Amino acid sequence: MATTTQEPEDSDGPLARWTQGAIQNPERVYRALFYAAMVFFLVTTLFPFYWLAVLAVTPEGNLLAGSFLPTVNLFGVSGTFPLPVPKGFNPAAFVTVFEQVPFHLYMLNSFALAVTTTVIVLFVASLAGYVFGRLRFPGRALLMLGILAISYFPPAAFVIPLFQAFAGNEAITIPFTSIPLFTPPRLLNTPGSMVLPFSALFMPLSIFILTTFYGQIPDGLEDAARVEGTTRLGALFRVIMPLSAPGVATASVLTFIAVYNEYFFSSIMATSPEAAKWSPIVGGILSYQTQYTTQFNLMAAASIVGVLPVVILVIVAQERIVSGLTSGALKE
Amino acid sequence: MAGVKLEHVTKRYDDQGEIVTAVDDMNLDIDHGEFICFVGPSGCGKSTTMETIAGLTIPSEGEVYIGDREVTNLPPKDRGIAMVFQNIALFPHMDVYDNISFGLRLRDYPQDEIDRRVERASEIVQLEGMLDRMPDEMSGGQRQRVAIARAIVREPDVFLMDEPLANLDAKLKVHMRTELQRLHKELDTTIIYVTHDQEEAMTLSDRIAVLNSGSLQQIDPPLTCYNEPDNLFVAGFIGSPSMNFVSGTVSENTIETPNFSLAFDPATVEGLGVGDEVTIGIRPEDIYPGELRSEIRDPSSLISARVDILEPMGDEIFAYMLLDESETSMDQEQTTNNQLLMSIEPDSDIREEEDIEVAIDRRNVHIFDSATGEALVHKLEPVDTGAGAAGSEAESDD
Repeated sequence: MATTTQEPEDSDGPLARWTQGAIQNPERVYRALFYAAMVFFLVTTLFPFYWLAVLAVTPEGNLLAGSFLPTVNLFGVSGTFPLPVPKGFNPAAFVTVFEQVPFHLYMLNSFALAVTTTVIVLFVASLAGYVFGRLRFPGRALLMLGILAISYFPPAAFVIPLFQAFAGNEAITIPFTSIPLFTPPRLLNTPGSMVLPFSALFMPLSIFILTTFYGQIPDGLEDAARVEGTTRLGALFRVIMPLSAPGVATASVLTFIAVYNEYFFSSIMATSPEAAKWSPIVGGILSYQTQYTTQFNLMAAASIVGVLPVVILVIVAQERIVSGLTSGALKE
Repeated sequence: MAGVKLEHVTKRYDDQGEIVTAVDDMNLDIDHGEFICFVGPSGCGKSTTMETIAGLTIPSEGEVYIGDREVTNLPPKDRGIAMVFQNIALFPHMDVYDNISFGLRLRDYPQDEIDRRVERASEIVQLEGMLDRMPDEMSGGQRQRVAIARAIVREPDVFLMDEPLANLDAKLKVHMRTELQRLHKELDTTIIYVTHDQEEAMTLSDRIAVLNSGSLQQIDPPLTCYNEPDNLFVAGFIGSPSMNFVSGTVSENTIETPNFSLAFDPATVEGLGVGDEVTIGIRPEDIYPGELRSEIRDPSSLISARVDILEPMGDEIFAYMLLDESETSMDQEQTTNNQLLMSIEPDSDIREEEDIEVAIDRRNVHIFDSATGEALVHKLEPVDTGAGAAGSEAESDD
């Protein structure tokens, strides 16, 4: 009889019942998984910032003594508080950061290097993206593959030859011979020695992004621009690029952040971590460390200050990236 | 003053190792102020031909002239042309004013000149008050008008229009068609117009260029293309519904087809002899019901047929007739020979499945060489009636 359905769940354990429920109503499981994943990512990304903040406001003298996990006594039960808390409160560290080291100059260095690289990368990658995305020529796929392959090379492989070249001491010779080709200018400790390798290293990703975006702009729009009076290049910069704004924003944000955070090349190309030698933020942070002392609280404070511009950039750019512009372009 | 001249223009594409000829040795001479339509089926090369004039495609061979200048290798911007695209192609990130003035701003016109011209152009296409709208806020017809305004604002020597009305609904299409004609009268520039719609071509143009498989079939005024098509392709393409084609063989005083014969004196057409294979072309409006035979100036003998399907159009009725009832119209191999389409008065008293007799106006019968497709004659000379007609009538009855 339909009314007296048997209830086999009664005989099953709680796990069996939960499994039954999950199979019949998987949405709940998906949501639970989503929250679990989100919490995981939030913790792994936000906890380091929290830890930096805790370190930054802890006075220097208290850094090494005692635990950051305080013992709390609640209703007679004592236990360890599971989250680190500052030992003391010294917001002056954020000021000391600028007093001890010209940290703003390091930030300016990073900022200038990042902006210059982004401009160069966007310009060159736009040209490449136009060619790969909109023109047909034999060997296109192979060339694209080559560019992507180069982007997987370890940057460390380039460091020694580039350092030698940028030192400008001896002429570059044809490999395996001693025939000199040219003597490069001395670029160490100048922006050139960093912008050049950065541009080359971060170019492939931007080319890849812009190729996909430029390839999607309808031919008709480019034709229209050319008939109206632009050259192919003019059409690229006046029509195709503005219409690919989300892609251009993505490529520039990624390049900017990558260069802003870069340390490996800049620590070598700037021969010592001095602001005057174009050492970037990481160089600045490390200069709170001397032979005998390491001011962890200042390093933490400097890290937070250094990260702020990028956080702001991402928040601002996010809206740009989300907003598409191509709606209503063509009648389909 | 600028006409357009194409000399031996050929365009070949390399499609994955296979050479495709999109335009084959095209020669065209278009006068200043002419309205020329390129018509042809999809893939006939009409858009490619237009692109070679626009400079968006560089021809593999041959030269393009605009006015007195050779422009074959000039970029589009230096050719003094403007173009309206099939997909409209307004710049979606610019408002109407910026779209229309795009070309002027690129050429560094003074601001007041730009304002004046944009205002004038938007008046012509009736877009006043919409200059600050974005393209995605406009209807299809409005966008199309913006595209036309963008083209006329630069006062080009030559207008190129690539199926500009293809995406509009039927009513708007007819409206824009008359606007285009008005525009042409007002601007007095050369207009080259690509369409696959032969009706559009007939109504708009001074001359029609019919293209097929990349080569020019005929370039003539619309009525010449209609009444005196150069070959089978033009005859079949121009006119809707299209011409009836029946294959036949020339005999001593008739053309014999599988189902009827037509009195004909081979001596009146040069180069035609007994035994030659020909294709007879008859337009639907040149076939009349038998009872109207006396009103035709030069009627053929009566042909018996069975009405297969009637299509009332309101102002006329299309009657699809089968000449040999043992075959069906579905039999594709036979349809051209077996089926005739007749256009009759809307008040005609004809029903489907009815056996009737029809007559053809011999003065409007076209004869084509079956082998080459070339037109041989567009009007049959009257033959002395009586014996000939009676004889063919007898044959058609069996």
